[in-house]
Amino acid sequence: MGRINRKNLVLLFLGVLVLALLINLPNTSSIYMVRVLNMTMITYLAVLSLYVVFGMAGQSSFAQCGLMGIGAYITANVSTRWGYPPILGMAASMLGTALFAFIIGFALFRLRRFYFSFSTIALMTILNGIFANWTKGTGGPVGMGNLVQFSVGNFIFNTEAKYYYLILGFSIAASIIIWKLFRSPLGRSFMAVRDNETAASCMGVNILLTKNIAFAISGLLCGLAGSLFAFLSGYISATSFALPQSQLYLVVIMIGGSSSPIGALIGSILINLLPEWLRFLKDYMMLIYGVGIMGLMIVLPEGLVGGGKDLYAKLIKWKRSRADAEQGL
Amino acid sequence: MQNSSNGKEAVLTLNKVCKNFGGVVAAKDISFELYPGEVFGLIGPNGAGKTTLINLITGIYKVDGGTIVLNGHDITRAPAHTRARRGITRTFQHPHLLNRCDIETNIYLGVDLARKNKMLNSHDHKKLLDELLEVAGLRLNMRDGIDKLAYGQQKLLEVVRAILTRPSVLLLDEPAAGLNQREMDHIVALVDIALKMNSAVLMIEHRMDLVMSICNRITVLNFGNQIASGKPAEIQDNPVVIEAYLGRKRGAKNS
Repeated sequence: MGRINRKNLVLLFLGVLVLALLINLPNTSSIYMVRVLNMTMITYLAVLSLYVVFGMAGQSSFAQCGLMGIGAYITANVSTRWGYPPILGMAASMLGTALFAFIIGFALFRLRRFYFSFSTIALMTILNGIFANWTKGTGGPVGMGNLVQFSVGNFIFNTEAKYYYLILGFSIAASIIIWKLFRSPLGRSFMAVRDNETAASCMGVNILLTKNIAFAISGLLCGLAGSLFAFLSGYISATSFALPQSQLYLVVIMIGGSSSPIGALIGSILINLLPEWLRFLKDYMMLIYGVGIMGLMIVLPEGLVGGGKDLYAKLIKWKRSRADAEQGL
Repeated sequence: MQNSSNGKEAVLTLNKVCKNFGGVVAAKDISFELYPGEVFGLIGPNGAGKTTLINLITGIYKVDGGTIVLNGHDITRAPAHTRARRGITRTFQHPHLLNRCDIETNIYLGVDLARKNKMLNSHDHKKLLDELLEVAGLRLNMRDGIDKLAYGQQKLLEVVRAILTRPSVLLLDEPAAGLNQREMDHIVALVDIALKMNSAVLMIEHRMDLVMSICNRITVLNFGNQIASGKPAEIQDNPVVIEAYLGRKRGAKNS
Protein backbone atom coordinates (compact mmCIF):
# COMPACT_ATOMS: atom_id res chain seq x y z
CA MET A 1 0.00 0.00 0.00
CA GLY A 2 1.63 3.26 1.07
CA ARG A 3 5.19 2.12 0.63
CA ILE A 4 7.66 4.96 1.03
CA ASN A 5 10.29 4.49 -1.59
CA ARG A 6 11.97 6.73 -4.11
CA LYS A 7 9.43 6.14 -6.82
CA ASN A 8 6.49 7.09 -4.57
CA LEU A 9 8.29 10.17 -3.29
CA VAL A 10 8.99 11.31 -6.83
CA LEU A 11 5.34 10.74 -7.73
CA LEU A 12 4.18 12.67 -4.67
CA PHE A 13 6.53 15.54 -5.49
CA LEU A 14 5.35 15.61 -9.10
CA GLY A 15 1.73 15.54 -7.95
CA VAL A 16 2.20 18.51 -5.64
CA LEU A 17 4.05 20.38 -8.37
CA VAL A 18 1.32 19.77 -10.93
CA LEU A 19 -1.37 20.73 -8.42
CA ALA A 20 0.41 23.99 -7.57
CA LEU A 21 0.77 24.70 -11.27
CA LEU A 22 -2.90 23.98 -11.91
CA ILE A 23 -3.99 26.20 -9.00
CA ASN A 24 -1.82 29.05 -10.22
CA LEU A 25 -2.85 28.73 -13.86
CA PRO A 26 -5.78 31.21 -13.91
CA ASN A 27 -3.55 33.94 -12.47
CA THR A 28 -1.10 33.68 -15.31
CA SER A 29 -3.46 33.02 -18.21
CA SER A 30 -5.80 35.20 -20.21
CA ILE A 31 -9.53 34.85 -19.62
CA TYR A 32 -9.79 33.26 -23.04
CA MET A 33 -7.20 30.65 -22.11
CA VAL A 34 -9.01 29.87 -18.84
CA ARG A 35 -12.14 29.37 -20.88
CA VAL A 36 -10.29 26.92 -23.11
CA LEU A 37 -9.00 25.11 -20.01
CA ASN A 38 -12.53 24.89 -18.60
CA MET A 39 -13.79 23.36 -21.81
CA THR A 40 -10.80 21.00 -21.78
CA MET A 41 -11.74 19.73 -18.34
CA ILE A 42 -15.37 19.27 -19.35
CA THR A 43 -14.16 17.31 -22.37
CA TYR A 44 -11.97 15.33 -19.98
CA LEU A 45 -14.96 14.40 -17.79
CA ALA A 46 -16.89 13.25 -20.86
CA VAL A 47 -13.91 11.27 -22.14
CA LEU A 48 -13.39 9.82 -18.66
CA SER A 49 -16.96 8.55 -18.88
CA LEU A 50 -15.93 6.87 -22.11
CA TYR A 51 -12.92 5.40 -20.34
CA VAL A 52 -15.30 3.59 -17.98
CA VAL A 53 -17.65 2.20 -20.59
CA PHE A 54 -15.15 1.74 -23.45
CA GLY A 55 -11.70 1.61 -21.86
CA MET A 56 -12.67 -0.63 -18.97
CA ALA A 57 -15.84 -2.41 -20.08
CA GLY A 58 -14.98 -2.50 -23.79
CA GLN A 59 -18.25 -1.05 -25.13
CA SER A 60 -17.66 1.71 -27.65
CA SER A 61 -20.49 4.20 -27.17
CA PHE A 62 -21.34 7.02 -29.55
CA ALA A 63 -23.98 8.37 -27.20
CA GLN A 64 -21.81 10.09 -24.59
CA CYS A 65 -22.58 13.58 -25.86
CA GLY A 66 -26.28 12.75 -25.83
CA LEU A 67 -25.98 11.74 -22.19
CA MET A 68 -24.15 15.00 -21.58
CA GLY A 69 -27.08 16.77 -23.20
CA ILE A 70 -29.53 15.06 -20.86
CA GLY A 71 -27.44 16.29 -17.94
CA ALA A 72 -27.33 19.84 -19.30
CA TYR A 73 -31.07 20.03 -19.93
CA ILE A 74 -31.92 18.58 -16.52
CA THR A 75 -29.73 21.24 -14.91
CA ALA A 76 -31.31 24.00 -17.03
CA ASN A 77 -34.82 22.87 -16.12
CA VAL A 78 -34.28 22.18 -12.44
CA SER A 79 -32.13 25.21 -11.62
CA THR A 80 -33.34 27.91 -14.01
CA ARG A 81 -36.92 27.08 -14.97
CA TRP A 82 -38.06 25.64 -11.66
CA GLY A 83 -35.70 27.71 -9.56
CA TYR A 84 -34.22 25.01 -7.34
CA PRO A 85 -30.69 25.54 -5.94
CA PRO A 86 -28.01 24.91 -8.60
CA ILE A 87 -26.39 22.18 -6.56
CA LEU A 88 -29.67 20.29 -6.64
CA GLY A 89 -29.78 20.73 -10.40
CA MET A 90 -26.33 19.24 -10.65
CA ALA A 91 -27.23 16.27 -8.44
CA ALA A 92 -30.41 15.70 -10.44
CA SER A 93 -28.36 15.78 -13.66
CA MET A 94 -25.93 13.17 -12.43
CA LEU A 95 -28.53 10.82 -11.00
CA GLY A 96 -31.03 11.34 -13.81
CA THR A 97 -28.46 10.67 -16.52
CA ALA A 98 -27.11 7.63 -14.70
CA LEU A 99 -30.62 6.24 -14.30
CA PHE A 100 -31.40 6.90 -17.96
CA ALA A 101 -28.21 5.12 -19.06
CA PHE A 102 -28.92 2.20 -16.74
CA ILE A 103 -32.45 1.68 -18.05
CA ILE A 104 -31.70 2.23 -21.75
CA GLY A 105 -28.72 -0.13 -21.28
CA PHE A 106 -31.07 -3.08 -20.86
CA ALA A 107 -32.19 -2.53 -24.45
CA LEU A 108 -28.83 -1.52 -25.98
CA PHE A 109 -26.75 -4.30 -24.42
CA ARG A 110 -28.96 -6.94 -25.99
CA LEU A 111 -26.66 -6.16 -28.90
CA ARG A 112 -22.98 -6.95 -28.88
CA ARG A 113 -19.82 -5.24 -30.04
CA PHE A 114 -20.27 -3.01 -33.08
CA TYR A 115 -23.99 -3.73 -33.21
CA PHE A 116 -24.09 -2.10 -29.79
CA SER A 117 -22.06 0.81 -31.16
CA PHE A 118 -24.54 1.25 -34.02
CA SER A 119 -27.40 1.30 -31.56
CA THR A 120 -25.69 4.06 -29.59
CA ILE A 121 -25.46 6.09 -32.80
CA ALA A 122 -29.21 5.62 -33.12
CA LEU A 123 -29.68 6.66 -29.48
CA MET A 124 -27.54 9.74 -30.05
CA THR A 125 -29.59 10.69 -33.10
CA ILE A 126 -32.88 10.21 -31.26
CA LEU A 127 -31.67 12.26 -28.28
CA ASN A 128 -30.47 15.03 -30.57
CA GLY A 129 -33.85 15.01 -32.30
CA ILE A 130 -35.59 15.39 -28.94
CA PHE A 131 -33.24 18.19 -27.88
CA ALA A 132 -33.92 20.06 -31.12
CA ASN A 133 -37.68 19.65 -31.21
CA TRP A 134 -39.15 19.29 -27.72
CA THR A 135 -39.96 22.99 -27.32
CA LYS A 136 -41.44 22.61 -23.84
CA GLY A 137 -38.58 20.71 -22.23
CA THR A 138 -35.51 21.82 -24.14
CA GLY A 139 -36.50 25.09 -25.80
CA GLY A 140 -36.50 23.31 -29.16
CA PRO A 141 -34.30 24.77 -31.90
CA VAL A 142 -33.86 28.01 -29.97
CA GLY A 143 -32.27 26.24 -27.02
CA MET A 144 -32.28 27.53 -23.47
CA GLY A 145 -30.52 30.75 -22.52
CA ASN A 146 -30.02 33.01 -19.51
CA LEU A 147 -29.23 30.03 -17.32
CA VAL A 148 -28.42 30.74 -13.69
CA GLN A 149 -24.82 30.66 -12.47
CA PHE A 150 -23.66 27.89 -10.22
CA SER A 151 -23.71 28.89 -6.59
CA VAL A 152 -23.24 27.34 -3.18
CA GLY A 153 -25.09 29.31 -0.52
CA ASN A 154 -24.25 32.95 -1.21
CA PHE A 155 -21.07 32.22 -3.13
CA ILE A 156 -21.79 32.70 -6.81
CA PHE A 157 -19.47 31.33 -9.47
CA ASN A 158 -19.54 34.34 -11.79
CA THR A 159 -16.06 34.35 -13.33
CA GLU A 160 -14.17 31.96 -15.56
CA ALA A 161 -11.53 31.57 -12.85
CA LYS A 162 -14.08 30.54 -10.22
CA TYR A 163 -15.50 27.97 -12.62
CA TYR A 164 -11.97 26.81 -13.29
CA TYR A 165 -11.52 25.82 -9.65
CA LEU A 166 -14.98 24.27 -9.47
CA ILE A 167 -14.44 22.11 -12.54
CA LEU A 168 -10.89 21.30 -11.49
CA GLY A 169 -12.20 20.05 -8.13
CA PHE A 170 -14.77 17.81 -9.79
CA SER A 171 -12.23 16.55 -12.33
CA ILE A 172 -9.76 15.57 -9.63
CA ALA A 173 -12.46 13.92 -7.51
CA ALA A 174 -13.79 12.00 -10.51
CA SER A 175 -10.27 10.93 -11.50
CA ILE A 176 -9.53 9.58 -8.03
CA ILE A 177 -12.80 7.63 -7.89
CA ILE A 178 -12.28 6.14 -11.35
CA TRP A 179 -8.64 5.36 -10.48
CA LYS A 180 -9.83 3.47 -7.38
CA LEU A 181 -12.39 1.64 -9.49
CA PHE A 182 -9.56 0.02 -11.45
CA ARG A 183 -8.50 -2.22 -8.52
CA SER A 184 -12.00 -2.84 -7.19
CA PRO A 185 -14.18 -5.93 -7.76
CA LEU A 186 -16.51 -3.82 -9.91
CA GLY A 187 -13.62 -2.55 -12.05
CA ARG A 188 -12.33 -6.09 -12.44
CA SER A 189 -15.73 -7.31 -13.58
CA PHE A 190 -15.77 -4.49 -16.19
CA MET A 191 -12.40 -5.58 -17.53
CA ALA A 192 -13.39 -9.24 -17.46
CA VAL A 193 -16.38 -8.42 -19.65
CA ARG A 194 -14.13 -6.44 -21.97
CA ASP A 195 -11.49 -9.14 -22.36
CA ASN A 196 -13.48 -12.34 -22.36
CA GLU A 197 -17.22 -12.58 -21.81
CA THR A 198 -17.22 -16.37 -21.56
CA ALA A 199 -14.52 -16.40 -18.91
CA ALA A 200 -16.25 -13.54 -17.09
CA SER A 201 -19.58 -15.31 -16.84
CA CYS A 202 -17.85 -18.49 -15.68
CA MET A 203 -16.28 -16.41 -12.91
CA GLY A 204 -19.69 -15.29 -11.70
CA VAL A 205 -19.90 -11.97 -13.54
CA ASN A 206 -23.39 -11.05 -14.72
CA ILE A 207 -22.51 -9.73 -18.17
CA LEU A 208 -25.65 -7.70 -18.91
CA LEU A 209 -25.85 -6.13 -15.44
CA THR A 210 -22.13 -5.32 -15.43
CA LYS A 211 -22.37 -3.55 -18.78
CA ASN A 212 -25.39 -1.65 -17.50
CA ILE A 213 -23.55 -0.53 -14.39
CA ALA A 214 -20.58 0.61 -16.48
CA PHE A 215 -22.95 2.56 -18.72
CA ALA A 216 -24.69 4.06 -15.66
CA ILE A 217 -21.39 5.21 -14.15
CA SER A 218 -20.44 6.75 -17.48
CA GLY A 219 -23.89 8.39 -17.46
CA LEU A 220 -23.15 9.83 -14.03
CA LEU A 221 -19.96 11.44 -15.33
CA CYS A 222 -21.68 12.68 -18.49
CA GLY A 223 -24.45 14.17 -16.36
CA LEU A 224 -21.82 16.02 -14.35
CA ALA A 225 -20.03 17.22 -17.49
CA GLY A 226 -23.31 18.36 -19.07
CA SER A 227 -24.39 20.15 -15.91
CA LEU A 228 -21.07 21.97 -15.63
CA PHE A 229 -21.30 22.88 -19.30
CA ALA A 230 -24.77 24.39 -18.80
CA PHE A 231 -23.64 26.47 -15.82
CA LEU A 232 -20.45 27.57 -17.52
CA SER A 233 -21.86 28.62 -20.88
CA GLY A 234 -25.22 29.93 -19.65
CA TYR A 235 -26.79 28.83 -22.93
CA ILE A 236 -27.43 25.36 -24.32
CA SER A 237 -28.91 24.14 -27.57
CA ALA A 238 -29.16 20.92 -29.51
CA THR A 239 -26.15 21.75 -31.70
CA SER A 240 -23.86 21.38 -28.66
CA PHE A 241 -24.97 17.78 -28.15
CA ALA A 242 -24.71 16.12 -31.52
CA LEU A 243 -23.13 13.00 -32.99
CA PRO A 244 -19.87 14.64 -34.25
CA GLN A 245 -19.05 15.65 -30.69
CA SER A 246 -19.58 12.06 -29.51
CA GLN A 247 -17.34 10.79 -32.28
CA LEU A 248 -14.72 13.29 -31.23
CA TYR A 249 -14.73 11.85 -27.70
CA LEU A 250 -14.01 8.39 -29.10
CA VAL A 251 -11.18 9.82 -31.19
CA VAL A 252 -9.83 11.55 -28.09
CA ILE A 253 -9.69 8.35 -26.06
CA MET A 254 -8.17 6.43 -28.96
CA ILE A 255 -5.43 9.03 -29.30
CA GLY A 256 -4.75 9.29 -25.59
CA GLY A 257 -5.01 5.56 -25.03
CA SER A 258 -7.98 3.70 -23.59
CA SER A 259 -5.95 1.73 -21.06
CA SER A 260 -5.86 4.40 -18.35
CA PRO A 261 -7.54 7.66 -17.25
CA ILE A 262 -4.27 9.40 -18.09
CA GLY A 263 -4.98 8.60 -21.72
CA ALA A 264 -8.31 10.39 -21.40
CA LEU A 265 -6.52 13.39 -19.89
CA ILE A 266 -3.77 13.60 -22.49
CA GLY A 267 -6.25 13.13 -25.32
CA SER A 268 -8.54 15.86 -23.96
CA ILE A 269 -5.66 18.30 -23.60
CA LEU A 270 -4.42 17.61 -27.12
CA ILE A 271 -7.81 17.88 -28.78
CA ASN A 272 -8.63 21.19 -27.08
CA LEU A 273 -5.24 22.87 -27.03
CA LEU A 274 -3.74 21.63 -30.28
CA PRO A 275 -6.13 23.71 -32.42
CA GLU A 276 -5.02 26.75 -30.39
CA TRP A 277 -1.36 25.95 -30.94
CA LEU A 278 -1.87 25.13 -34.61
CA ARG A 279 -3.75 28.36 -35.28
CA PHE A 280 -0.82 29.83 -37.20
CA LEU A 281 -1.43 27.22 -39.90
CA LYS A 282 -4.71 28.98 -40.68
CA ASP A 283 -6.58 27.28 -43.53
CA TYR A 284 -4.42 24.18 -43.42
CA MET A 285 -5.00 23.58 -39.72
CA MET A 286 -7.77 21.00 -39.96
CA LEU A 287 -5.87 19.19 -42.73
CA ILE A 288 -2.67 18.89 -40.71
CA TYR A 289 -4.70 18.02 -37.64
CA GLY A 290 -6.55 15.22 -39.43
CA VAL A 291 -3.41 13.78 -41.02
CA GLY A 292 -1.68 14.00 -37.65
CA ILE A 293 -4.42 11.96 -35.96
CA MET A 294 -4.31 9.34 -38.71
CA GLY A 295 -0.55 9.09 -38.44
CA LEU A 296 -0.76 8.75 -34.68
CA MET A 297 -3.27 5.91 -34.94
CA ILE A 298 -0.97 4.06 -37.35
CA VAL A 299 2.19 4.56 -35.32
CA LEU A 300 0.61 4.16 -31.88
CA PRO A 301 -2.48 1.96 -32.12
CA GLU A 302 -2.63 1.74 -28.31
CA GLY A 303 -2.68 5.54 -28.03
CA LEU A 304 -0.11 7.85 -26.53
CA VAL A 305 -0.20 6.22 -23.10
CA GLY A 306 0.15 2.71 -24.51
CA GLY A 307 2.94 3.87 -26.80
CA GLY A 308 4.67 5.61 -23.91
CA LYS A 309 4.51 2.45 -21.82
CA ASP A 310 6.04 0.42 -24.64
CA LEU A 311 8.80 2.95 -25.04
CA TYR A 312 9.50 2.91 -21.29
CA ALA A 313 9.67 -0.90 -21.28
CA LYS A 314 12.06 -0.83 -24.23
CA LEU A 315 14.21 1.79 -22.52
CA ILE A 316 14.53 -0.34 -19.37
CA LYS A 317 15.35 -3.40 -21.45
CA TRP A 318 17.99 -1.43 -23.36
CA LYS A 319 19.49 -0.08 -20.14
CA ARG A 320 19.64 -3.59 -18.68
CA SER A 321 21.25 -5.10 -21.71
CA ARG A 322 23.82 -2.29 -21.72
CA ALA A 323 24.55 -2.86 -18.04
CA ASP A 324 24.94 -6.57 -18.73
CA ALA A 325 27.27 -5.82 -21.61
CA GLU A 326 29.40 -3.58 -19.44
CA GLN A 327 29.63 -6.24 -16.75
CA GLY A 328 30.71 -8.70 -19.36
CA LEU A 329 33.66 -6.53 -20.37
CA MET B 1 -27.14 -45.11 -9.79
CA GLN B 2 -24.07 -46.28 -8.01
CA ASN B 3 -23.08 -44.48 -4.88
CA SER B 4 -19.37 -45.03 -4.92
CA SER B 5 -18.17 -42.56 -2.37
CA ASN B 6 -19.11 -44.38 0.80
CA GLY B 7 -22.42 -42.77 1.55
CA LYS B 8 -21.52 -39.18 0.63
CA GLU B 9 -24.21 -37.09 -1.03
CA ALA B 10 -23.66 -36.20 -4.67
CA VAL B 11 -22.71 -32.55 -5.29
CA LEU B 12 -23.66 -32.51 -8.92
CA THR B 13 -26.14 -34.78 -10.63
CA LEU B 14 -26.69 -34.97 -14.36
CA ASN B 15 -29.86 -36.77 -15.35
CA LYS B 16 -30.39 -37.71 -19.01
CA VAL B 17 -28.79 -34.54 -20.33
CA CYS B 18 -29.19 -34.07 -24.10
CA LYS B 19 -27.79 -31.58 -26.59
CA ASN B 20 -27.97 -31.45 -30.39
CA PHE B 21 -26.32 -29.04 -32.76
CA GLY B 22 -28.51 -29.22 -35.83
CA GLY B 23 -28.36 -32.91 -36.71
CA VAL B 24 -25.21 -33.60 -34.71
CA VAL B 25 -25.76 -35.32 -31.38
CA ALA B 26 -23.32 -33.79 -28.91
CA ALA B 27 -24.80 -35.34 -25.80
CA LYS B 28 -27.40 -38.08 -25.54
CA ASP B 29 -28.95 -39.07 -22.21
CA ILE B 30 -25.81 -38.40 -20.21
CA SER B 31 -26.24 -39.24 -16.52
CA PHE B 32 -23.65 -39.24 -13.79
CA GLU B 33 -22.98 -37.93 -10.32
CA LEU B 34 -19.99 -36.13 -8.85
CA TYR B 35 -19.02 -36.64 -5.22
CA PRO B 36 -16.95 -34.36 -3.00
CA GLY B 37 -13.28 -35.23 -2.72
CA GLU B 38 -13.35 -37.37 -5.85
CA VAL B 39 -11.84 -37.03 -9.31
CA PHE B 40 -14.16 -38.00 -12.12
CA GLY B 41 -12.53 -38.57 -15.48
CA LEU B 42 -14.27 -37.81 -18.75
CA ILE B 43 -12.50 -39.36 -21.70
CA GLY B 44 -13.24 -40.14 -25.31
CA PRO B 45 -11.98 -39.48 -28.82
CA ASN B 46 -11.95 -35.99 -30.33
CA GLY B 47 -15.44 -34.74 -31.03
CA ALA B 48 -17.02 -37.10 -28.52
CA GLY B 49 -18.80 -34.22 -26.75
CA LYS B 50 -16.60 -33.84 -23.67
CA THR B 51 -16.13 -30.09 -23.80
CA THR B 52 -19.77 -29.67 -24.80
CA LEU B 53 -20.71 -31.43 -21.59
CA ILE B 54 -18.64 -28.98 -19.54
CA ASN B 55 -20.27 -26.13 -21.43
CA LEU B 56 -23.66 -27.60 -20.54
CA ILE B 57 -22.73 -27.91 -16.88
CA THR B 58 -21.40 -24.34 -16.68
CA GLY B 59 -24.35 -22.90 -18.58
CA ILE B 60 -22.53 -21.65 -21.66
CA TYR B 61 -24.86 -23.89 -23.65
CA LYS B 62 -28.46 -24.62 -22.68
CA VAL B 63 -29.50 -28.26 -22.52
CA ASP B 64 -32.13 -29.61 -24.90
CA GLY B 65 -33.35 -32.10 -22.33
CA GLY B 66 -32.62 -33.58 -18.94
CA THR B 67 -31.78 -31.91 -15.65
CA ILE B 68 -28.67 -30.71 -13.82
CA VAL B 69 -28.85 -30.53 -10.03
CA LEU B 70 -26.20 -28.86 -7.89
CA ASN B 71 -26.34 -29.34 -4.11
CA GLY B 72 -30.08 -29.95 -4.30
CA HIS B 73 -30.80 -26.92 -6.51
CA ASP B 74 -32.05 -27.49 -10.03
CA ILE B 75 -29.70 -25.32 -12.11
CA THR B 76 -30.79 -26.63 -15.52
CA ARG B 77 -32.08 -23.22 -16.61
CA ALA B 78 -29.77 -21.02 -14.52
CA PRO B 79 -27.44 -18.60 -16.35
CA ALA B 80 -23.68 -19.20 -16.29
CA HIS B 81 -22.86 -16.55 -13.69
CA THR B 82 -25.45 -17.92 -11.25
CA ARG B 83 -23.96 -21.40 -11.55
CA ALA B 84 -20.50 -19.96 -10.90
CA ARG B 85 -21.79 -18.23 -7.79
CA ARG B 86 -23.32 -21.49 -6.63
CA GLY B 87 -19.90 -23.09 -6.75
CA ILE B 88 -19.14 -24.40 -10.25
CA THR B 89 -15.77 -23.25 -11.55
CA ARG B 90 -14.02 -24.35 -14.68
CA THR B 91 -10.86 -23.98 -16.69
CA PHE B 92 -10.66 -24.00 -20.46
CA GLN B 93 -8.73 -26.13 -22.89
CA HIS B 94 -6.98 -22.97 -24.04
CA PRO B 95 -6.68 -20.64 -21.07
CA HIS B 96 -9.34 -17.92 -20.95
CA LEU B 97 -7.45 -15.22 -19.11
CA LEU B 98 -8.00 -11.48 -19.34
CA ASN B 99 -5.35 -10.69 -21.93
CA ARG B 100 -5.26 -6.94 -21.49
CA CYS B 101 -5.12 -7.12 -17.67
CA ASP B 102 -2.23 -7.82 -15.37
CA ILE B 103 -1.80 -11.02 -13.37
CA GLU B 104 -3.20 -9.48 -10.20
CA THR B 105 -6.50 -8.56 -11.85
CA ASN B 106 -6.77 -12.05 -13.29
CA ILE B 107 -6.20 -13.72 -9.94
CA TYR B 108 -8.45 -11.39 -7.99
CA LEU B 109 -11.30 -12.17 -10.34
CA GLY B 110 -11.27 -15.53 -8.57
CA VAL B 111 -11.08 -13.91 -5.13
CA ASP B 112 -14.07 -11.74 -6.06
CA LEU B 113 -16.09 -14.82 -6.95
CA ALA B 114 -15.13 -16.54 -3.72
CA ARG B 115 -16.29 -13.49 -1.77
CA LYS B 116 -19.58 -13.41 -3.65
CA ASN B 117 -19.98 -17.08 -2.77
CA LYS B 118 -19.06 -16.26 0.82
CA MET B 119 -16.47 -19.04 0.53
CA LEU B 120 -13.56 -16.84 1.48
CA ASN B 121 -12.99 -13.90 3.75
CA SER B 122 -10.38 -11.29 3.06
CA HIS B 123 -7.98 -12.80 5.60
CA ASP B 124 -7.45 -16.25 4.23
CA HIS B 125 -7.43 -15.54 0.50
CA LYS B 126 -3.85 -14.27 0.72
CA LYS B 127 -2.78 -17.43 2.54
CA LEU B 128 -4.57 -19.70 0.11
CA LEU B 129 -3.22 -17.76 -2.88
CA ASP B 130 0.36 -18.02 -1.63
CA GLU B 131 -0.08 -21.73 -1.02
CA LEU B 132 -1.55 -22.32 -4.47
CA LEU B 133 1.13 -20.30 -6.26
CA GLU B 134 3.80 -22.19 -4.33
CA VAL B 135 2.31 -25.56 -5.24
CA ALA B 136 1.88 -24.46 -8.85
CA GLY B 137 5.54 -23.47 -8.95
CA LEU B 138 4.61 -19.98 -10.11
CA ARG B 139 6.80 -17.06 -9.11
CA LEU B 140 5.04 -14.07 -10.54
CA ASN B 141 5.32 -10.34 -10.67
CA MET B 142 1.68 -9.42 -10.02
CA ARG B 143 1.85 -6.32 -12.22
CA ASP B 144 3.11 -8.16 -15.28
CA GLY B 145 0.79 -8.63 -18.22
CA ILE B 146 -0.56 -12.06 -19.11
CA ASP B 147 1.51 -12.06 -22.30
CA LYS B 148 4.65 -12.33 -20.15
CA LEU B 149 3.62 -15.85 -19.13
CA ALA B 150 4.46 -19.01 -21.01
CA TYR B 151 1.58 -21.21 -22.17
CA GLY B 152 2.06 -23.71 -19.34
CA GLN B 153 2.17 -20.94 -16.76
CA GLN B 154 -1.06 -19.52 -18.13
CA LYS B 155 -2.75 -22.90 -17.76
CA LEU B 156 -1.44 -23.30 -14.22
CA LEU B 157 -2.57 -19.77 -13.37
CA GLU B 158 -6.07 -20.55 -14.60
CA VAL B 159 -6.22 -23.65 -12.39
CA VAL B 160 -4.94 -21.59 -9.44
CA ARG B 161 -7.64 -18.99 -10.07
CA ALA B 162 -10.30 -21.70 -10.26
CA ILE B 163 -9.26 -23.37 -7.00
CA LEU B 164 -8.97 -19.98 -5.30
CA THR B 165 -12.77 -19.73 -5.52
CA ARG B 166 -13.05 -22.86 -3.31
CA PRO B 167 -15.44 -24.47 -5.80
CA SER B 168 -17.78 -27.27 -4.85
CA VAL B 169 -17.42 -28.49 -8.44
CA LEU B 170 -14.17 -27.96 -10.33
CA LEU B 171 -14.23 -28.69 -14.06
CA LEU B 172 -10.85 -29.06 -15.74
CA ASP B 173 -10.81 -29.18 -19.53
CA GLU B 174 -7.59 -30.90 -20.58
CA PRO B 175 -5.45 -29.34 -17.86
CA ALA B 176 -2.31 -31.21 -18.93
CA ALA B 177 -2.51 -30.64 -22.69
CA GLY B 178 0.60 -28.85 -23.90
CA LEU B 179 2.35 -29.07 -20.53
CA ASN B 180 5.69 -30.68 -19.79
CA GLN B 181 6.14 -33.35 -17.13
CA ARG B 182 7.10 -30.90 -14.38
CA GLU B 183 4.08 -28.68 -15.06
CA MET B 184 1.86 -31.74 -15.12
CA ASP B 185 3.11 -32.66 -11.64
CA HIS B 186 2.09 -29.19 -10.49
CA ILE B 187 -1.40 -29.78 -11.90
CA VAL B 188 -1.67 -33.03 -9.94
CA ALA B 189 -0.58 -31.24 -6.76
CA LEU B 190 -3.16 -28.50 -7.36
CA VAL B 191 -5.90 -31.06 -7.88
CA ASP B 192 -4.87 -32.56 -4.53
CA ILE B 193 -5.49 -29.22 -2.83
CA ALA B 194 -8.93 -29.01 -4.44
CA LEU B 195 -9.71 -32.49 -3.15
CA LYS B 196 -8.64 -31.52 0.35
CA MET B 197 -11.15 -28.65 0.11
CA ASN B 198 -13.72 -31.36 -0.64
CA SER B 199 -14.32 -30.15 -4.17
CA ALA B 200 -15.70 -32.58 -6.69
CA VAL B 201 -13.32 -32.57 -9.64
CA LEU B 202 -14.32 -33.45 -13.19
CA MET B 203 -11.42 -33.77 -15.58
CA ILE B 204 -11.27 -34.13 -19.33
CA GLU B 205 -7.88 -35.47 -20.29
CA HIS B 206 -6.14 -37.30 -23.11
CA ARG B 207 -2.99 -38.21 -21.16
CA MET B 208 -3.98 -41.71 -20.08
CA ASP B 209 -1.21 -42.03 -17.50
CA LEU B 210 -2.64 -39.00 -15.69
CA VAL B 211 -6.24 -40.17 -16.02
CA MET B 212 -5.52 -43.68 -14.78
CA SER B 213 -3.46 -42.47 -11.84
CA ILE B 214 -5.66 -39.78 -10.33
CA CYS B 215 -9.25 -40.51 -11.37
CA ASN B 216 -11.50 -42.43 -9.00
CA ARG B 217 -14.13 -43.09 -11.64
CA ILE B 218 -14.22 -42.62 -15.39
CA THR B 219 -16.91 -42.20 -18.01
CA VAL B 220 -16.13 -42.69 -21.68
CA LEU B 221 -17.97 -40.66 -24.30
CA ASN B 222 -18.22 -41.38 -28.00
CA PHE B 223 -20.40 -39.42 -30.41
CA GLY B 224 -22.30 -37.93 -27.49
CA ASN B 225 -23.04 -41.34 -25.97
CA GLN B 226 -21.88 -42.67 -22.65
CA ILE B 227 -20.31 -45.93 -23.81
CA ALA B 228 -18.73 -47.02 -20.55
CA SER B 229 -18.42 -46.05 -16.90
CA GLY B 230 -16.45 -47.44 -14.03
CA LYS B 231 -13.18 -47.60 -12.17
CA PRO B 232 -9.97 -46.95 -14.14
CA ALA B 233 -9.00 -50.61 -14.22
CA GLU B 234 -12.41 -51.63 -15.59
CA ILE B 235 -12.27 -48.96 -18.28
CA GLN B 236 -8.77 -49.91 -19.37
CA ASP B 237 -9.83 -53.44 -20.25
CA ASN B 238 -13.24 -52.59 -21.68
CA PRO B 239 -13.31 -53.74 -25.33
CA VAL B 240 -15.91 -51.11 -26.30
CA VAL B 241 -13.56 -48.38 -25.10
CA ILE B 242 -10.58 -49.82 -26.89
CA GLU B 243 -12.63 -50.01 -30.05
CA ALA B 244 -13.78 -46.39 -29.74
CA TYR B 245 -10.23 -45.21 -29.32
CA LEU B 246 -8.47 -47.45 -31.81
CA GLY B 247 -11.33 -47.90 -34.23
CA ARG B 248 -11.02 -51.71 -34.25
CA LYS B 249 -13.82 -53.54 -36.00
CA ARG B 250 -16.22 -55.49 -33.82
CA GLY B 251 -14.95 -58.77 -35.18
CA ALA B 252 -14.35 -61.15 -32.33
CA LYS B 253 -17.36 -61.08 -30.06
CA ASN B 254 -16.25 -60.28 -26.60
CA SER B 255 -19.35 -59.18 -24.77
